[in-house]
Amino acid sequence: MGPLSRDAWAQRLGAFRASPSAFMAGPEGEDLGRDLLGDLRSEKLNEQTKVSLLALSLEYPAQLWPDVSAAEVAATSLLDTLVLLPPRPSALRRPLLLAATTALAAGGALGPTSGASCRLLPLLLGLAAGSDLGRGFVPASEQRPLQATACECLRELESCKPGLLGGSLGLLRGLLGQEGPVQPLSLLLALALRNTLVLQSRVGAGLGGLLTDKVSPTGGGPWDWTLVEEGDGRLQPQAPSWPAAEEGEGERSLTAREHSPEEARELRAAVIQLLDTSYLLTPVAQAQLLWLLGWALRGLQGQPPALFKPQLVRLLGTAQLTLLHAVLALKAAFGEALFTAQDEALLLRRLTLAAQHPALPPPTHLFYLHCLLSFPENWPLGPEGEEAAPLLLGPQLCRGLLPSLLHDPMALLARLHLLCLLCAEDEEEEKGQLPSPRHYLEELLAGLRQRAALDEGPRALATVCFQASYLVTRCLAGQPTVLTPLIHGLAQLYRVRPMLASHFVDFLDQVDSELREPLKVVLRQEVVSRPGRDEALCWHLKMLAKVADGDAQSATLNFLQAAAAHCTNWDLQQGLLRVCRALLRAGVRGGLVDLLQVLARQLEDPDGRDHARLYYILLAHLAGPKLGVALGPSLAPPALASSLVAENQGFVAALMVQEAPALVRLSVGSHGGKGPLPVLKLQPEALEPIYSLELRFRVEGQLYAPLEAVHVPCLCPGRPARPLLLPLQPRCPAPARLDVHALYTTSTGLTCHAHLPPLFVNFADLFLPFPKPPGGAGLGFFEELWDSCLPEGAESRVWCPLGPQGLEGLVSHHLEPFVVVAQPPTSYYVAIHLPPNSKLLLRLEAALADGVPVALRTDDWAVLPLAGDYLRGLAAAL
Amino acid sequence: MAQRAVWLISHEPGTPLCGTVRFSRRYPTVEKRARVFNGASYVPIPEDGPFLKALLFELRLLDDDKDFVESRDSCSRINKTSIYGLLIGGEELWPVVAFLKNDIIYACVPLVEQTLSPRPPLISVSGVSQGFEFLFGIQDFLYSGQKNDSELNTKLSQLPDLLLQACPFGTLLDANLKNSLDNTNFASVTQPQKQPAWKTGTYKGKPQVSISITEKVKSMQYDKQGIADTWQVVGTVTCKCDLEGIMPNVTISLNLPTNGSPLQDILVHPCVTSLDSAILTSSSIDAMDDSAFSGPYKFPLTPPLESFNLCYYTSQVPVPPILGFYQMKEEEVQLRITINLKLHESVKNNFEFCEAHIPFYNRGPITHLEYKTSFGQLEVFREKSLLIWIIGQKFPKSMEISLSGTVTFGAKSHEKQPFDPICIGETAYLKLHFRILDYTLTGCYADQHSVQVFASGKPKISAYRKLISSDYYIWNSKAPAPVTYGSLLL
Repeated sequence: MGPLSRDAWAQRLGAFRASPSAFMAGPEGEDLGRDLLGDLRSEKLNEQTKVSLLALSLEYPAQLWPDVSAAEVAATSLLDTLVLLPPRPSALRRPLLLAATTALAAGGALGPTSGASCRLLPLLLGLAAGSDLGRGFVPASEQRPLQATACECLRELESCKPGLLGGSLGLLRGLLGQEGPVQPLSLLLALALRNTLVLQSRVGAGLGGLLTDKVSPTGGGPWDWTLVEEGDGRLQPQAPSWPAAEEGEGERSLTAREHSPEEARELRAAVIQLLDTSYLLTPVAQAQLLWLLGWALRGLQGQPPALFKPQLVRLLGTAQLTLLHAVLALKAAFGEALFTAQDEALLLRRLTLAAQHPALPPPTHLFYLHCLLSFPENWPLGPEGEEAAPLLLGPQLCRGLLPSLLHDPMALLARLHLLCLLCAEDEEEEKGQLPSPRHYLEELLAGLRQRAALDEGPRALATVCFQASYLVTRCLAGQPTVLTPLIHGLAQLYRVRPMLASHFVDFLDQVDSELREPLKVVLRQEVVSRPGRDEALCWHLKMLAKVADGDAQSATLNFLQAAAAHCTNWDLQQGLLRVCRALLRAGVRGGLVDLLQVLARQLEDPDGRDHARLYYILLAHLAGPKLGVALGPSLAPPALASSLVAENQGFVAALMVQEAPALVRLSVGSHGGKGPLPVLKLQPEALEPIYSLELRFRVEGQLYAPLEAVHVPCLCPGRPARPLLLPLQPRCPAPARLDVHALYTTSTGLTCHAHLPPLFVNFADLFLPFPKPPGGAGLGFFEELWDSCLPEGAESRVWCPLGPQGLEGLVSHHLEPFVVVAQPPTSYYVAIHLPPNSKLLLRLEAALADGVPVALRTDDWAVLPLAGDYLRGLAAAL
Repeated sequence: MAQRAVWLISHEPGTPLCGTVRFSRRYPTVEKRARVFNGASYVPIPEDGPFLKALLFELRLLDDDKDFVESRDSCSRINKTSIYGLLIGGEELWPVVAFLKNDIIYACVPLVEQTLSPRPPLISVSGVSQGFEFLFGIQDFLYSGQKNDSELNTKLSQLPDLLLQACPFGTLLDANLKNSLDNTNFASVTQPQKQPAWKTGTYKGKPQVSISITEKVKSMQYDKQGIADTWQVVGTVTCKCDLEGIMPNVTISLNLPTNGSPLQDILVHPCVTSLDSAILTSSSIDAMDDSAFSGPYKFPLTPPLESFNLCYYTSQVPVPPILGFYQMKEEEVQLRITINLKLHESVKNNFEFCEAHIPFYNRGPITHLEYKTSFGQLEVFREKSLLIWIIGQKFPKSMEISLSGTVTFGAKSHEKQPFDPICIGETAYLKLHFRILDYTLTGCYADQHSVQVFASGKPKISAYRKLISSDYYIWNSKAPAPVTYGSLLL
């Protein structure tokens, strides 16, 4: 594409500026950067158009040249264009230098390996030094402006790559001493000096001869990539961690560093040189110089902050925002070392008068007020980082800074904050002292409420009234003398202008319960005391939905009953139902049932009727706490911004059973059923308080009859729970696995379901003793059982290993309840009833040292292998 | 200490967007630093469209102020400075320095050289004051001598080039954009002596110095028991020094007559090289006594080329120039008003103009008026519900004038009659507008002997004085009126 005309470019630039992202996404986006670079050399375009192209590249390099290599190419092209300019004055040299610098710095291409960087840096330094670059490169009339521009470019590069000019300090100092332009060189030197000091101290090096050497010791040009690398590419903040300035000993030790006497002398000389000519700089540049030097010298040994003293009086007299701000920065950096108590008092007075001086614009006043409340005191008393009135700022000084109704909202709030701080300090207020700040505060708030109550007033008047009230409650919490009138004033405001209900709801949401609870009570009274048709009914309902609770039920219900007749449209009906819902949550039941029934029948809107019915059903079927949770705010964010959806999600969360990790553990205790059925003794243990626990069991393989669920009203961690007895009804005498589920309610009211680890019913858990035969004829009874097993049953002999306790120990530990005949320690006859109707008979006789032969009989074949395993495992189980 | 971006937005209520971005400038190298410094809390500078919308919303300049919007109206969103956080695309851009002046919103985003969460205190952000100074500088440039919209447009079109000089990389070099304008217009030749950055060239011609003192007097008069009337003088001294040489040294003195009122709260221009401690410490905060420093007030300085405000001061004169009372009573359908004004004998009775504006807020148009006045004429603006009592150039010999009458109003129509949140019911004021030439209330003056010039040639000295009223209110004494804390200190 050939070069575009001037108009075509103007149009294209306009389209780009309207929305850069949209333009770049469009068909022309891709070529814009390339076209721009190309057309800069076009002879058809005039300089003005080219300047506008360069201006675009100064603002949007990331869009035009989105990656490092593109930025490098662009910078190279811009430098080529610069070199090719004919040797006559041109408006393009400055913007070309700026554009090349911007492209490299913003594109991340600046570095020792970048060809464009290696061309740009010597060029800039040469221009800054005012040296002859040959070939009429710089026409004489442009020399000085370009010198300044080159300094600015170098400063920007140094800002982006701290340490870059570490090797040029001596050169820059020399230039500043000669006739170079004062401001650009001063700022450049100050920045490079600050960065070098910080970086050198980080690597523990001194300044060496950097401040005196006119040529860099590193060779290969005066820029110091090694220092940049030592800096790790980390940028240097102007005022590192200001808030910590007072107590930041750690910070201080980081910057504390030693310089040789010679270095210290040179450094001091350089700083004095900069400060002495600082009056030649524009005020904003002076401020930058002070910020840079102040924080660079902070904590530096041998560099007394008194160097700054000669500047201070001059600066304190001005009205310049940047200069006074810079003085505050020096104050924060040096504290008492630069500002005596008297100086501090003077600074505070100047700040106080600047914060109200009629000749200064309002935004300045507000900023100075902020500075007053964040004033870096020599000896701060209050907590760090909180706004507070400085100690020296007494009521006398504050007099002119107090708010009045005539102030605009921001000034009013800022000054109100100060007034609140005064009132908070003024607790031991002298009686009879007029006018008392607290009384003034009350009057002011009353005035604000009066304005907020105006029918035609803009919303901003209401907003500022509530913001002021909120500020007061925050600053003066716990002071009933302030809060009580505030509560009544607000109630009165609501009476006059109920349409501010949204503000009230927001206010109630924000304030502490100290104010919220009493305010809710009076607001509720305001609403319910005026039943019937009212234009403000929708606001009343909105208000009531916020403030209704279990108290004053009958008045609230009466109001709602009366209101129901007037709720003719959907909005009002929803409002009404929201109040019902709030009452449901608060646990109101009595009269509400009737009201909901009436609403479910009477409301015109089917949606309203449905809702009323739903609430009625919930009220009738759910217990209080559960209801509270069901109607509580939804835990899940609603997928749609609809109240109904949100409400439904709330129900879903609250009424449905939630899958949850098991909050309860079960362990099987010792068995020991005496009754006709084996009973499993379970020991439950809760990890969190849980309620209404229901444990459900399922037997795998239907070996037993289905098991009854077990109910536990409440389980608390740390509180021992009674063991649970689970009767088993085996269908065959076999061990089994029980699947366990728990259903419970958490303390937040949610119903949860959890799958617990399975429980195992062992063979021995099924053992039951035979009823004792009358008369103690044990042996006969046993023999009878023994004989009855055959011929249908089975017989076997098993070797039962014995542990160190011998036979007696084994029996007493495992088989005691089932022993029918015992001749300790040699012979035991054991009869075990295995439900439903099997028996297992054991004869343990003639034990040897390591085992005992066991003769066993059973009437159930299937039991035999189980019994064998059981006996063989006994010794190990001991 | 740098700015990430700057915007000028015209506020256009009633249009779909309620505003237009008239100018914007971004600084990508600063933006790159912001990304590093702010780390995870970095929020990029948005495009103009979203920025405009978010800023107008935050400043309450959109037309849809009707409904409560929590993100703007919540009582906990308290803003006490002109520095805002703007919600854009779910993220909060902070700090945005912004203010509205003459229907233009000036906005910029200073670089914060640390993480933004937690937010550092504003006082520790060096770019904030620079941002303000930048915006004030642009405002001064746009409105100095600007008369109409086309001039404003011309000046707006000059801004890109000017900022290329005054703020090429986001770090402001000179808030006085006119210097940059001069710089672009004619490049100065290399000077052997050090040239101050705030002085772009040198003056050639007859040496002359002009000093003009403008005092504004404001007052709140209540005519009530327990509430003190207050008044204050605010002075501005403007100088123009046309002197040859790069750095001519000048000392300008302001003098007071023997019964003059001491100057206080003096703020000087940065070109003043040193200040007497008596000047620095004389302040309205302290209780006045006879030992107060009463001049001469000497200001040694090196003047810039252009006209500059040498200093501002305030002063507490013993009496207000015009003492008045205003009584207004609602009587059934009409208002009965009585006004009495008395010029103090010490004040020069020779006005350029003097008039009392008597507005009636929150009422309908004036339908009927009967009045009697001892002096001057009354103009009636029925639709605006406003009376203007034109007193003229001189008070009569008695120095005392009065106006009484009854006013009846029609039905209110919201479009035409002004709304005022303060003047509700009988709360009302009248406001005096007057100007007296060649006079200051403090007595402060500069004359031939006030100027010492340490340069070749004796300059011609011209000095001007004038007194202007500003916020000179007299409140209806029959109804509550807004008071300041100072009025309660009797």
